Amino acid sequence: MATTGNKSINAKLVLLGDVGAGKSSLVLRFVKGQFVEFQESTIGAAFFSQTLAVNDATVKFEIWDTAGQERYHSLAPMYYRGAAAAIIVYDISNQASFERAKKWVQELQAQGNPNMVMALAGNKADLVDARKVTAEEAQVYAQENGLFFMETSAKTAANVNDIFFEIAKRLPRVQPAQNSSGMVLMDRPVERTAAASCCS
Amino acid sequence: MENSSSVTFYDFLDKMRNPSSLDLVRSIKSFIVSFSFHAANPENNGKRVQEFFSTMEAAIIDHPLWADASDEEIDRAMEGLEKYVMTKLFARTFAVSPEDAMIDQEISEKICLLQTFLRPEHLDIPAVLRNESSWLLAEKELQKINAFKTPREKLLCIMSCCRVINNLLLNASLSEDHVPGGADDFLPVLIYITIKANPPRLHSNLRFIQLYRRQEKLISEAAYYFTNLISAKSFIMDLSAKSVSMDEMEFEKSMEAARQANNSSQVEHSLALDEASMLGEHAYPATATTIETETTTSGRLNYPYMEAEPGELTVEDVERLLKLYKDVVTKYTSLCKTVRYLSMPRMGVIPPPSRGTGALSSQSEETSANASHQANSSSILEGTDFLSLEPQETSEDVHHKGEVQRSENCTKEVHKLGVDEMEAKIVKGFQQNTD
Repeated sequence: MATTGNKSINAKLVLLGDVGAGKSSLVLRFVKGQFVEFQESTIGAAFFSQTLAVNDATVKFEIWDTAGQERYHSLAPMYYRGAAAAIIVYDISNQASFERAKKWVQELQAQGNPNMVMALAGNKADLVDARKVTAEEAQVYAQENGLFFMETSAKTAANVNDIFFEIAKRLPRVQPAQNSSGMVLMDRPVERTAAASCCS
Repeated sequence: MENSSSVTFYDFLDKMRNPSSLDLVRSIKSFIVSFSFHAANPENNGKRVQEFFSTMEAAIIDHPLWADASDEEIDRAMEGLEKYVMTKLFARTFAVSPEDAMIDQEISEKICLLQTFLRPEHLDIPAVLRNESSWLLAEKELQKINAFKTPREKLLCIMSCCRVINNLLLNASLSEDHVPGGADDFLPVLIYITIKANPPRLHSNLRFIQLYRRQEKLISEAAYYFTNLISAKSFIMDLSAKSVSMDEMEFEKSMEAARQANNSSQVEHSLALDEASMLGEHAYPATATTIETETTTSGRLNYPYMEAEPGELTVEDVERLLKLYKDVVTKYTSLCKTVRYLSMPRMGVIPPPSRGTGALSSQSEETSANASHQANSSSILEGTDFLSLEPQETSEDVHHKGEVQRSENCTKEVHKLGVDEMEAKIVKGFQQNTD
């Protein structure tokens, strides 16, 4: 749960996605790239923490990685229980990982915390030649399902910080209010995505 | 952050001895007493303890003894309180429901079966992460979970185990061109280690931590590792042919074989002093079956290492041999003593022929280590008052650290010596003892 106090928010963020989609590379890129004075970060193998300063608050992300293998699928609820945010990661060069991502979205919608901020990340955006999932397809899917979408690359760092900043901005500032946060800021990330995918 | 806890606890007791904290002491005592009036209901008990912690936290913050105390000092006092209360209430809170005991046994039995055939490749653990010495260290940490009485210390065992795995993963990502797999790698390794360790009363220990660890402490990284072990437990309980990379027929066959071997080894347990079982089967029920299948054809069943060449021994074998060696030496010395006493014409008291008989030896080392832990923490607190407590008796954490260090050294030593030298040492030592 995101908890507020002195304008600092603690937010549990869970990473979901198929094995090999690059969940931990994505988060490593984010955690290692941020330097916030007087704030310690944790870089473990599967648990990470990092603090981000957004306009009106500091958000401390506690990032829980989950095992992507199908055989551990049924264990996921233990990890996303109480999460304030989720990033669902797929590999743009792997159609199956996109299908898997859709399953995660459905599951979170059915069973997750209703106020959870959900982001869909099309990772490995640098692999343009091997692309199997178009940005448009994913964008349409994200729009239909009320989550925001970005194509990211842990390799080039494209959109990596942006996706975490966007989540930080969307986290509810006061616990009970703002239940429509999923739909509001739809336009901006789309522009950025387009920009990122055409330069890389 | 966590290491000065014996000092912390002493500090807490010291404050409790101060006359001005009489009201706090009264609340604590009456809470502990009130606990015995209620029927054991784990969920309710957990809630009551957590509520008590919150009430006490507020009382401590407002208390003159803690005037101007920092958040850290308050936290230290709360850690002291948790330790005191939970040690006192241990017998009434740990594994009290019969269902919990049943689940413990169910898991433990299933793990015993899995141990006989499940290998890292069945969980698709990449070769770069198969590091025997790290795994052994992680197992030892996890096995200690049942040796402690307080939720914090139990949780620390999980943390230590997970940190060993964490470091293994971080090292692998540095040295090889292995792409860091994060939880994709972490969870399978933890599951495999849990199977190898078969930590005693796993379910009850997890539940105890969940119910009684101060809620504001079961967060963040600690909560993450804790959740992973709960996942591992749940995965193991539901583990079937479908959840591992193994042919379904083969899985069922292996399970059945393990069950039968288990039954027959139980029969053997009742044939107490069979020398063969003393050396092989009894001491290591989990590995016995593999040894058996390897050796039945050549008739070396009783002494599986008799014809082994030094080069064939693995680090695990050496560890096993070292255990066996210690076991044999203990038995041999007590046997010698007994024989000496018996052959002497004087009328001394004959020492009991030391209870180093087969079945006991398998776990004696482990359990005696645990027992001393237990004794350490239980004798301090049970039935004692704040006033009679001595600081040096509460050094469990120092103990805890020492253990880690020791097992680290032990694995290091095995590596340094190499298999050959280790074997030579064992044999030499054995000869010296028999001379």
